[in-house]
Amino acid sequence: MRPDLPARPDALAETSYENERMTDTKLIEGERLAPVGPIAGGPRRRLLARLGPSNPAAFPWVLMAPTLIVLFAFGVYPFLNALYIASQNIILSRPNSPRFFVGLYQYQTVIQDPEFWHALRITIWFTVQAVFIQFWLGLGLALLFRRIVLGASILRIFILIPMILPPLVAALIWRYMFYPGGGLVTYYAGGITRALGLGEIPFLSDPSIAFHTLVFVDVWEWTPFMFLMMTAGLASIPRQPYEAAEIDGASSWRVFWTITLPLLKPAILIAVIIRTMDAFRTYELIVVMTRGGPGNATTTLNVYLTKTGLEFFDASKAAAISLIMMMIIIVMSLIFIRAMRMRSQSAA
Amino acid sequence: MRRRIPIAMATALTFSVAASAIAYAQTEAQQELAGAEIRFLQPAMPQFAALERFIPEFEEKFGIKVTVDEIPFDQYRQRSLVEMQQGTGAYDIYAVDVMWLAEYATAGFLEPLMPLVRNEDLTDPDYDIDDFLPRVISGTGVWDDVLYTIPLGAGPVGTTFRRDVAEEAGITMPERFSPEFTTDFMHEAATKVHNPESGMMGFAQMPGRWFWGITYLPYLYAFQTPETVGDEYVDEDWNITINNERTIESIDYFVSFREFMPADSANWGIDEATSMYQSGRAFGLWNYQDFIKGFFEDEDAHPEIAGQNVHLHTPAGPHGVIDPWFGAWSFGLSVDSRNKEAAWVFVQWMTSKEIQERATEFGAGPSRHSTYRSETLAQHQPWWVDVYDFMLNDTNPDERIRVPEWAEISDIMGEEGNRVWIGEIDSATAAANMERRMTEVMRRGGYFVPGREDLPPQHWRDLSYYDRLPSEWN
Repeated sequence: MRPDLPARPDALAETSYENERMTDTKLIEGERLAPVGPIAGGPRRRLLARLGPSNPAAFPWVLMAPTLIVLFAFGVYPFLNALYIASQNIILSRPNSPRFFVGLYQYQTVIQDPEFWHALRITIWFTVQAVFIQFWLGLGLALLFRRIVLGASILRIFILIPMILPPLVAALIWRYMFYPGGGLVTYYAGGITRALGLGEIPFLSDPSIAFHTLVFVDVWEWTPFMFLMMTAGLASIPRQPYEAAEIDGASSWRVFWTITLPLLKPAILIAVIIRTMDAFRTYELIVVMTRGGPGNATTTLNVYLTKTGLEFFDASKAAAISLIMMMIIIVMSLIFIRAMRMRSQSAA
Repeated sequence: MRRRIPIAMATALTFSVAASAIAYAQTEAQQELAGAEIRFLQPAMPQFAALERFIPEFEEKFGIKVTVDEIPFDQYRQRSLVEMQQGTGAYDIYAVDVMWLAEYATAGFLEPLMPLVRNEDLTDPDYDIDDFLPRVISGTGVWDDVLYTIPLGAGPVGTTFRRDVAEEAGITMPERFSPEFTTDFMHEAATKVHNPESGMMGFAQMPGRWFWGITYLPYLYAFQTPETVGDEYVDEDWNITINNERTIESIDYFVSFREFMPADSANWGIDEATSMYQSGRAFGLWNYQDFIKGFFEDEDAHPEIAGQNVHLHTPAGPHGVIDPWFGAWSFGLSVDSRNKEAAWVFVQWMTSKEIQERATEFGAGPSRHSTYRSETLAQHQPWWVDVYDFMLNDTNPDERIRVPEWAEISDIMGEEGNRVWIGEIDSATAAANMERRMTEVMRRGGYFVPGREDLPPQHWRDLSYYDRLPSEWN
């Protein structure tokens, strides 16, 4: 309190007095922000002074607090909890069994399990095939749509329909399309192959065909996403490089490789990383269509994880699998980002 | 004479009203439960649908509201275990499969029922727990000498064939449990009838990975010798014993039916095989006794096949052994229920003599002596009468070993067996893989810890354990 100001006995007067002090501070120091006008209540005022814009150290944290709380509740806490569960021997269907610290035993169990390596191989192969095809199809469609003038917006809506469908619904639709004997695809494809003397195509019963049937359905569902991302990326490329190339008489092929693709890299990077993470975790499609079969031909890591966690209720092993999956996804993303950066640098 | 008839009718009416009033009499404690609400989680299956018809009657009679949540069978175990494990008491009653009792009871998810059965304030004196078939109630609901669930129906697995198709092919189908019905007979009959050109499949197997662990088991048993019965999965020290000639032969036998089935049948389960049979395109298939009425003999739903079927047991193997399969669903009270008394009144009503008998008209199976002997059952589901003696004397509740690890054991069998079906591995490799993986499961379950003395007893080696009077359990 400044000594040159007269004392005010009542609480309200004191509040106003304090506000004046703050305003004075602002005026005197000329650089600190302070609220304009009176603030009711002492504690509120003090809180504002501590956490408000006048405190540059605390105020950014206040603004970020809601996001940080959500991030902690749905990101950090589950991660820490998963680490804890993976260090125990928790089987949910045996709540009375003694729980104790087992160190890295669960990770060791996972890594020594041939089923894990099989599921990892299937997952990587599925992800690589699906994302590769989706990327080139999405890019091709986006380039094609740059040239279509008539009816492009209606066609675009049709292309996006598979992505709009919930994955479970899309999987159910395709399951019935491939239903043995009576599905739309099996019926017509069977008719054609029988006419050719080849017999029926076991879309979901032959290990290799079942795997590629799943890749096909995933491509059908998620190519629109790539198309959308590539369309946005293409729209952000300025006209000037194309005009310069046109003046220089560059071919379409050369324009694509030297202008379009390098300038699309930021969009490609984001799209491919998002799709890679998503394809790596594909679950509904596989469970609805093949449930990981026939045999274990389509058992991906997520199917293996769900079986461990929600069929056998081995929570600790499931937590270890999920953390290993997370590490794999992070490493894959980092490798991809680095590869893209190195290409950009070498191109520059 | 004219006067006597109305008097006789009036007397009969009075007696029947009085009798029904006695049967429906509520105790004071039951009346006080009016206004309670209970929730029941059940799988979507024909026997539950049959019982569901009686819920409005129960609600009206007792004033207790019942909410039923129905889950597809293949998701039921996961959902019920998650609910139980959370311990919120969201459901008061769970449907429990015979194979899950060990897991649920060991985990402490279920409320012991005998104190409620013995509670004279809550339990109708006519409930008569000893009217249940001993092996049915103990095999379904008893774990560690404690009664946890009450069966709503229990039966063996079997096979169903088209009698008319067999007659046309000159095949005389044997009687149920006849020693003439062997694995060889079944395969030969299927071969004789199989005719892809006319759209008749010799036999519709269910080789899908998730069904193999159920539909293959009758053959695993059939190929045992009298000396190896009991050692199908484990020996007396819980060592896995599945890698042997009998397993290999039984897998080969099961897979030999692939020749009758289309190329895209590797994932077939109950849905695909049953719909093939229902549409008249298969000569035979696997069945479960409780499904017969709903799947094959309902004249309204399946006019093409109803009344033209012969229902047999699964075939006897080369050494005359048949599968003593025991399948059952039961009602279990959640240990976390806040309405245990109301829930027990509901279970008691649904498993009472009267409702059990009436429900057989709609496809529910029997689990009481009185139901087996009733005219209602004989009239509406005569195929049950044949299995009464079998369920009393021959069935084995531990045909599939009831240990908490069964879900994993069954999954391993399904995966390895299905790999043989699709030609990825041979039966010898499958048997070896099964043994290796099952051993690992048992090792993780602590079965090989030296000096451990709390391992579950192997009651299948002496079935007299299951023949106690139901009222003797704790």
